[in-house]
Amino acid sequence: MNHQTRVYRDVFEMLPSEDNPTPMVRIHRMNPRPEFELYAKLEWFSPFGSVKDRAAWAMLRDLEARGEVGNGRGIVEPTSGNTGISLAAMARARGHHMRAVVPNKVPLEKKVLLKIAGAELDVVSDELCPAPGLGDGSINLAKTHAKAQSEKYVMPNQYESEQNVLAHFRTTGPEIWRQTEGKITHLFLSLGTCGTVTGASRFLRGQKPGLKVIAVQPTEGHDVPGLRNVSQLGVSKLFDRSLIDDILEIDFHLAYTRALELCQTEGLLAGPSSGLIYEGARRIIERDQAGCGVMIFPDNIFKYTANMVKHIPSLAEGTQA
Amino acid sequence: MPNYAHPEVLVATDWVKENLGQPAIKLVEVDVDTRAYDAGHIPGAVGFNWQTQLQDPLRRDILSREAFEKLAGDAGIAPTDTVVLYGDNNNWFAAYGFWLFKVYGHADVRLMNGSRVKWLNEPDKPLTTAKTSVTPVAYKVTRLNLDLRAYVTQVLEASQTAKFNLVDVRSPDEFTGKVIAPPGMSETAQRGGHVPGAASIPWSLAVNSDGTFKTAEELRATYFDQKGVDPKKDTIAYCRIGERSSHSWFVLKYLLGLQNVKNYDGSWTEYGNLVGVPIEKA
Repeated sequence: MNHQTRVYRDVFEMLPSEDNPTPMVRIHRMNPRPEFELYAKLEWFSPFGSVKDRAAWAMLRDLEARGEVGNGRGIVEPTSGNTGISLAAMARARGHHMRAVVPNKVPLEKKVLLKIAGAELDVVSDELCPAPGLGDGSINLAKTHAKAQSEKYVMPNQYESEQNVLAHFRTTGPEIWRQTEGKITHLFLSLGTCGTVTGASRFLRGQKPGLKVIAVQPTEGHDVPGLRNVSQLGVSKLFDRSLIDDILEIDFHLAYTRALELCQTEGLLAGPSSGLIYEGARRIIERDQAGCGVMIFPDNIFKYTANMVKHIPSLAEGTQA
Repeated sequence: MPNYAHPEVLVATDWVKENLGQPAIKLVEVDVDTRAYDAGHIPGAVGFNWQTQLQDPLRRDILSREAFEKLAGDAGIAPTDTVVLYGDNNNWFAAYGFWLFKVYGHADVRLMNGSRVKWLNEPDKPLTTAKTSVTPVAYKVTRLNLDLRAYVTQVLEASQTAKFNLVDVRSPDEFTGKVIAPPGMSETAQRGGHVPGAASIPWSLAVNSDGTFKTAEELRATYFDQKGVDPKKDTIAYCRIGERSSHSWFVLKYLLGLQNVKNYDGSWTEYGNLVGVPIEKA
């Protein structure tokens, strides 16, 4: 493949790697201190539209290599959307079937996208009166399918798979190291499965032990799809607190207002989780004042128009004749 | 089982696995998510749907005696069988099923400790989608235990006198009236809050993070020492629709051994809709 001409044999050759990184764009108007270089790494330039392409591809390739998928055995995965979209599109393009178990509060756009990408959908109601540590309904239902119909399904399990971490250790981390020419001092990201933070931090800390890793999380009871508050992180076995310097808890409404600002001020059509990460970076820049920071922007705004209108009602004004 | 008053009503997942296929042991799965059974169940288990099979289909009431006899008989359950219930959400509706079996006098009913999720997460425990074949039997209720059920008149009496422990097992936000029901629930009420005089003791205080029940010592410390339940008094537990309160009813009656514990199955969806009854908030 030749990344100069950008002509590819198949869609999978477009997946990001050290030689074909997702772009990094410098932030100007929204950077409170120009002496602090701030970059956004735009993960939606990956072929299936989000940072989850990395973990999905690593998990799928691993399952194929071990003979766990194929011959009628497909995959089942609990997902809030992006992993499912990546996995479904990849699986179908490789000839496998895919069942996605989705919490009900996931936006309609993502549910429909999952179906468009080729997933069979199971929607489960979210929180009833939960007790800590019980696990989440979508994870339990996916595990049930994988256990009760093991001839039909294997569960990649993004919350536990070491491949999720390895994907970022092998691609996201080295890409950032090369793209910043080793200058990076701060890494800003959000927490979901924690594959990104654990994999990328492990690589980058290996290159530069003093690197600061800052994770943002929405306030409890939030409505930011794909992210988890630390109180919800029990479900991820990939969370390694020792790799994170600061965890900032940020009012989740800012995810939406900052995303809108990024769209309208920087021309970056970033989704709500990117908005939250930007707000975290902004606060740390005010504190640390100098450095070179990279924000990992997980996906773009296109899947979130309904959520945007819910949290910024003025966006609906003037949209009807 | 650690020092429970009636340890025989609780079985471990290992015990269930060792006893799979025993003809006189009947496994029954009852879930909040009524699709969970079809997605995968313990081999040999039958599934009861709480919405369509465990309550009267027309009026607001528990299953009638005749309907219960038909449900149990059609599931191949004989009055002398051991019935082991399990389900999702920490056995909420499994506990409701347990209560219903006890109301209709079934002698040997048990809960699987740790519920469905513990079985699911143990690698040696199988699940299947295979249809369970049952041979229907004739089931006859010979004894009714209606004293296990509380009605609103008794709840009002409990509220106005100090004769009962009145235990509200819902989440703190439901107790204070901040919400009327957990998000997305269709069964609700006109008013939020709690029955005056009720103590807030959320059901989840009785379980460990792996879904199993806490030890008797821990439960005594929570219910008696910290929350003020008087073990010498009669007790009424309620929630929103009667399933979480079945769970706490089970804890109070069988694990802690209180003598007279009733489940108010009308719960907040009855009380919070009644005209003219007193309500407290916060």
